Amino acid sequence: MTDRDAGTAEASARPGPGTDPDPLLRIEGLRKSYGDEEVLRGVDMALDRQDVEVIIGPSGSGKSTLLRCVNRLTEFRGGDVFLDGESVLAMDENDLRRRVGMVFQDINLFAHLTARENVTLGLRRVLGMDREAADDRAMAHLKRVGLAPQSESYPAELSGGQKQRVGIARALAMDPDLLLFDEPTSALDPELVGEVLGVMSDLADGGMTMLVVTHEMGFARRAATTLTFLDEGRIVERGPPDRLFEAPERDRTAEFLRRLTDLSEDRDR
Amino acid sequence: MTALGAALGAALGGIETAVGVGAGAIQAPPTDWGFIVENADYLLAGAVVTVLLTATSLLLGFLAGFPAGTVEVYGGGWLRRVVRTAGVLLRGTPILVILVFAFFAAPVPLPSGSVTVPFPGLPPVDVGLSAFTAAALGLGLRSAAYQSQIFRGALQSVDAGQMEAARAVGLSKLGAIRHVVLPQALRRSIPGFQNEFTIVLKDTSIAFAIGLAEILTRSYDLFVQQTTATLEVVLFISLVYFLLTVFTNRTLDYLDRRYAIPGGKG
Repeated sequence: MTDRDAGTAEASARPGPGTDPDPLLRIEGLRKSYGDEEVLRGVDMALDRQDVEVIIGPSGSGKSTLLRCVNRLTEFRGGDVFLDGESVLAMDENDLRRRVGMVFQDINLFAHLTARENVTLGLRRVLGMDREAADDRAMAHLKRVGLAPQSESYPAELSGGQKQRVGIARALAMDPDLLLFDEPTSALDPELVGEVLGVMSDLADGGMTMLVVTHEMGFARRAATTLTFLDEGRIVERGPPDRLFEAPERDRTAEFLRRLTDLSEDRDR
Repeated sequence: MTALGAALGAALGGIETAVGVGAGAIQAPPTDWGFIVENADYLLAGAVVTVLLTATSLLLGFLAGFPAGTVEVYGGGWLRRVVRTAGVLLRGTPILVILVFAFFAAPVPLPSGSVTVPFPGLPPVDVGLSAFTAAALGLGLRSAAYQSQIFRGALQSVDAGQMEAARAVGLSKLGAIRHVVLPQALRRSIPGFQNEFTIVLKDTSIAFAIGLAEILTRSYDLFVQQTTATLEVVLFISLVYFLLTVFTNRTLDYLDRRYAIPGGKG
């Protein structure tokens, strides 16, 4: 139930990736096809608590599908995903999603509800909180993403960056074990990306376990504990971001990172 | 219709030809417009039946059409096939045929007898239960077939991401439909519902074919007594239909604005 923003001390005590024998999330040999097209061809990955894993890769590489298999928005056929040692296939899908929050590229705020109501819907209808408790918790999380003053605004009255911050508050308020981010800034105007990445960095510093698909190299470098390069449904290279940036083992990784970095530098000018 | 009616008609008929229509209403009551004034109560009592039939049919149409539209979008298997087939049949049959079928060939027994419908300030109307039931069933089921399409379109117009986001916070499919998709779809169905309301209101006049004492049947009662007043009677009931339509459309316009999502396009 507790928020984790008091977790800077925890963050510095964060263990290195893969050292925990009992990871929060373990993905084993994950395969997924859409018809004849194989999107994921055997992906293995493990996230410890408080890890921030950033996944990069060209479009169509299976990044989003990977994320959606974790909370079973997409059903997979081969391999398995374990949350806290338990196969997600054995879990009730609604229980699973209660524990794994998701932030979408298209944001998908509930259009007929205010920012506050967007956050309280899950609290009330999924966690069964009463109105007052749900309102209190929603306001606390809106404040955390800097949107307390906009709590009574409807999505259509908010900027893209504000909307996405509400989207983060909505996922965060459910007190999930793990947060999935599916290109959370890709649909935003460039000048609005910073405010969303700022919130995500704060979460990472606070010890939130995050699995993030993004093209924001600055964020990856700053906040990721592990960087994974996915291409054609397979992991090409995975490791600490500094190593992948400075000394990638594979040519494909190097080339992809160079292109992405060039792009974001162009934009920063 | 009746001795009194016939006598009234004969008495009024003689004078009518001599007086111009426009001026006649004011100067000398026993003209065709005077005939309307004298029988307005009779016609308005019929309008009460029209409104009752409209409300009953729309309610029945909503109760059947709303779940039907939901089943067409989210349902599967035999249930969806049954709903679709029923919709195609009902939309593919003329309303007059549906009504005649419901009245003369209904597969279920219709209630017999009649009830008196009182309305403050108007003479009570005797409404035949079998005719009213047949009309409400026919109009209601046909309206259900159209309302299901209004709701189906509205449900499908809600972005798929809304459902996905609702599922992602842990809502069940039913919970997501109820709390996220439906509230948006209902708002979007108001304009379509506005059309449907108007259509059902006007189509209640078809109950004339099975003798229900609604406003058209009653106007027929009148102009067979005074055939020179046919135009006036028809103009008068057209005005009644028009006012009812405008009033309900304005009410729905108001609801549309009242429940519009701020900043959104609805």
